[in-house]
Amino acid sequence: MTTGHATALPHPEDQDLVDRIIGDQAGRPGALLGILEKLQDRNPHKYLPMETLEYVAARTGIPQSQVYGVATFYALFNLDPQGTHTVAICRGTACHTRGSRALLERVKLQLGLQETSEGADKLTLTTPDRRFTIRTVACFGQCALAPVVEIDHAIRGHVKEQALIREVEALRRDRSR
Amino acid sequence: MTEKVKVRIDGEVIAATAGQTILQVARANNKYIPALCYMEGLSAVGACRLCMVEVSGVARLLPACTTPVQEGLAVATSSPQLQSYRKIALELLFAERNHVCAVCVSSGHCELQTLAQDHGITHIRYPYNFPRLSVDTSHPRYVLDHNRCVLCSRCVRTCDEIEGAHVWDIAGRGINSRLVSELKRPWGEATSCTSCGKCVQACPTGAMAEKGFGVEEMTKQRTVVSRLTTMREGQ
Repeated sequence: MTTGHATALPHPEDQDLVDRIIGDQAGRPGALLGILEKLQDRNPHKYLPMETLEYVAARTGIPQSQVYGVATFYALFNLDPQGTHTVAICRGTACHTRGSRALLERVKLQLGLQETSEGADKLTLTTPDRRFTIRTVACFGQCALAPVVEIDHAIRGHVKEQALIREVEALRRDRSR
Repeated sequence: MTEKVKVRIDGEVIAATAGQTILQVARANNKYIPALCYMEGLSAVGACRLCMVEVSGVARLLPACTTPVQEGLAVATSSPQLQSYRKIALELLFAERNHVCAVCVSSGHCELQTLAQDHGITHIRYPYNFPRLSVDTSHPRYVLDHNRCVLCSRCVRTCDEIEGAHVWDIAGRGINSRLVSELKRPWGEATSCTSCGKCVQACPTGAMAEKGFGVEEMTKQRTVVSRLTTMREGQ
């Protein structure tokens, strides 16, 4: 069982970084959002571990439940470790009508991932070896390019099933990363 | 300085103080406006949308609990349109989670149930969502049943504003919103909880109850929270 008043993080070097980030932002209205965003960005697996949330709450005096509420309300925050490569598939209306659902299913099949719960506004699946994360996005605002897929922060438009499979396969073969 | 204003509620001219909300003025003058998330003594959030009223000169409906009165304000509290909207809001609350009155500790003392009866709701016109939800029995004295939660956030505000502990908050968004204690820890493991039980008393439904009560036995002392605020203001 974890205690409610964490004052230390598992790694001291993390703690310096976290303290600096909190120090930069603390006291500003809406500081929590900025703190969490920076912390997630600095995390090697691009997520917010529970210990970090606990520490942020203890240091800023913001109640734990409020920190958790903010971290779960915004789609940009991850509470689970993310893969090295991210494939984000658009689920917007334009992309959906141009077959983004099939792209999602195809990539899931390719990486051997299974959907755990249907219907959630955001779907995030990570391979057990943490090399790939597949996620859905509500809209990239690039509807003219539908269906849109973002691979490692690069937007691809008019994506075809075969092209997507080739790209993902190339990333999978590239063991250097 | 308290400025006196005159407002019209359902045609009747009523003297009020500027800064009061429509709901406060109406309740003080025995005018009924239904509400679920509002509780005297707590901040108003306008979440349940049951206290929506028509204000003349305003095209959209306004929540009575968060709209302050002004001189010459004319309010209609129960037009057929409002009645139909309130029915929809209530029915959607029932459809969202698993509200089974027949096996609920608060049956007979439940605000949601009472509101449904008052609005003549005999059936729900929308398909039920039937979410798979948990029951948190980890606390030695209290139970949290998510199936019966309407996300009114009264417990969140009671714990934050009256007790000062802020154990509760709402996590997630939309249909996936859930009440959480601390970092989604079981209630019994929440170290900031003082076990004061005020959240239980504030809860309008059977979502929060004391242990040891059978069906229909969990009556609540809802005035406790409001009275605390009044007493503190008097100090």
